[in-house]
Amino acid sequence: MLELVDLSKKFKQNDAVKNLNMFIEKGEIIGLLGPNGAGKSTAISMLSSLIEPTKGDVRFRNKSMIKHPAPLRNVIGVVPQEIALYEDLTAEENMQFFGKIYRLRGIQLKKKIDEVLEQIGLTDRRKDIVKTFSGGMKRRLNIGVAMLHDPEIIIMDEPTVGIDPQSRNYILETVKRLNKEKQMTVLYTSHYMEEVEFLCDRIYIMDKGNLIASGTKDEIKRILSAEKTISIQADRWNDEFIEELKQNPTVNRVTVGEKEITIIIPREVNMFAAIIKMAENADVELNSVDVQTPTLEDVFLHLTGRALRD
Amino acid sequence: MIGILQAKFKMFLRNPWTFMLFTGMSIGFALILGGSGLTTISVPVYSENEEMQQSFISEKLEESDAFTFNWMTEDELKDEIANGRAEIGVILLEHDYRFIVGVDSPNRSMLEQTVRGAYVEKFQQDNILAAANATTDAEKETVLENLQETMESPVFEMNRSSFRSADTFVYDDTFQRLFGFTLFFVIYTIAYNVLPILVEKKDGLWDRVILSPVKKWEMYVANLIYSFFEGYLQVLIIFLIFRYWVGVDFHGRFLETLLVLIPYVFSIVALSIFITALVKNAQAFNAIIPIISVSMAMIGGAYWPIEIVESEFLLALSKINPLTYGMEVLNGIAVYGYPLEELVFPISILLLMGVVLMGVGIHLMERRHV
Repeated sequence: MLELVDLSKKFKQNDAVKNLNMFIEKGEIIGLLGPNGAGKSTAISMLSSLIEPTKGDVRFRNKSMIKHPAPLRNVIGVVPQEIALYEDLTAEENMQFFGKIYRLRGIQLKKKIDEVLEQIGLTDRRKDIVKTFSGGMKRRLNIGVAMLHDPEIIIMDEPTVGIDPQSRNYILETVKRLNKEKQMTVLYTSHYMEEVEFLCDRIYIMDKGNLIASGTKDEIKRILSAEKTISIQADRWNDEFIEELKQNPTVNRVTVGEKEITIIIPREVNMFAAIIKMAENADVELNSVDVQTPTLEDVFLHLTGRALRD
Repeated sequence: MIGILQAKFKMFLRNPWTFMLFTGMSIGFALILGGSGLTTISVPVYSENEEMQQSFISEKLEESDAFTFNWMTEDELKDEIANGRAEIGVILLEHDYRFIVGVDSPNRSMLEQTVRGAYVEKFQQDNILAAANATTDAEKETVLENLQETMESPVFEMNRSSFRSADTFVYDDTFQRLFGFTLFFVIYTIAYNVLPILVEKKDGLWDRVILSPVKKWEMYVANLIYSFFEGYLQVLIIFLIFRYWVGVDFHGRFLETLLVLIPYVFSIVALSIFITALVKNAQAFNAIIPIISVSMAMIGGAYWPIEIVESEFLLALSKINPLTYGMEVLNGIAVYGYPLEELVFPISILLLMGVVLMGVGIHLMERRHV
């Protein structure tokens, strides 16, 4: 249905997105994952025809949308990362404004507003001014105004940034419900791995403007099928212990946190006893050693050497 | 476009405080500093003869626009002068008057003219009544009525006028302050109405609208119409207050005065767009607007008449300042009484500035993805 072909964007000397290839089928929830600055927002701005790519094409139903984006614009709803609302208006007045710009009028507009307010759980607050809302409520309304014109594809750019866990869950459940009940296609960008794992059928992972992995959740996790992750926890480390781990030939990667060290080793290797011995030799008092099944976070770590929220 | 305007008006009605603040400040500064005619000089007045308070002379003194005469006892009058609460006191006699002067200022001669005028008129009236042999009250009343009627339809009129060269500088403090502060404060009102374009673009609100069937030019036009409307509404309210409440008559050319404000407001909307296109964020805009507006007011003749500026450099700068031309057209209409045809040049400059600044501003905004 929607395809990005070798899409690139250069700002002066900076390659924001490099040769991005991606496809989205009807009814899918696609996750676009990457740390801040990975190029996700630039990619979706090109996809939604807000900025023109330096190179490549955006194809919708096999037609290029670069010069004539109207057919695509008619069927997409965009939820930007910022709260793009009039904060001095009420929730209902915002809905009326965004409904009217999509040519909705009269009873049709009123019905649609009622329906969307119900979906985002703001019916009781419809007459309240937006600037009195909590962060989570603003985010929900931010999503709601993008759904007024019944878009076929909804593009959400980190819609849960800076909100409480309860509102976050509400938003994730709402997205899932919309996809199920209305067969709405969703492109969801995030740097929260667990959100993407919860929501998405297929995932694209970006870093520094490049697409570094793509596929279903299982396909991506299989990248680590030959490896496993061990989490070592202690109150404090010393250089000797870390150095010994790094020098160990069976350890593929070591990531040091304040109270946790994560190592990636081949699946067949059993290092449990060796880790305990290394800790004893280095005089490090361990709290726990856990062998973990791979997560998308591990995949990202494996591919880039950095944690997602670095 | 209508939807955008509706949203803007709703927000204005919900939060009109900035608009009211700048409108109030314009009116306040012009009233306080402008000698608007609301303030009169208080003069204590006393007479031994209590009937003087209801006399013809007392009536004439009360007609004065410049002085307010407050009747009191002789001791109170002397006390007012002694304590500096009044500059001059007046003691009215039947055929004469005395001044008690505490501070000898130019007001003394003005007051003397006023009081002498009242006595001269009284003596003229007495002479006319004597010449008409009117002795009873009824006769006097009839003579005075006939006199009044005759004065209302005179056989001939004398008009007095003076001549000045085209370069003569005329200073009217009321208009200087009124026009100066109005044109100065409206810069803020307009600028802070254009600023949301920058904020809404940064917040992604414009992106949302761009993806809808609404065209980008409609968004610009709606925002500019709204900014123009609010700026013009402010100057309209200020001028209406001065016309109908304070009583400034704009030399009988009030409607033309309102008309020539249109190009000025338009040029300030365009200037605000241009500045918005140059700055990176709202903080920079907030920092730069006071600097620009105060500079414009100083070199454009809002704080003091441009005619007293001697620096060639400042005078050259004033030529690229919309406020200079705004003051020129307003003074041209209300102070110098020029016909509109003589103001075509400054009006054209304002319109040209408006078109150029708006064109360049919008172009820059689009190029820089502001």
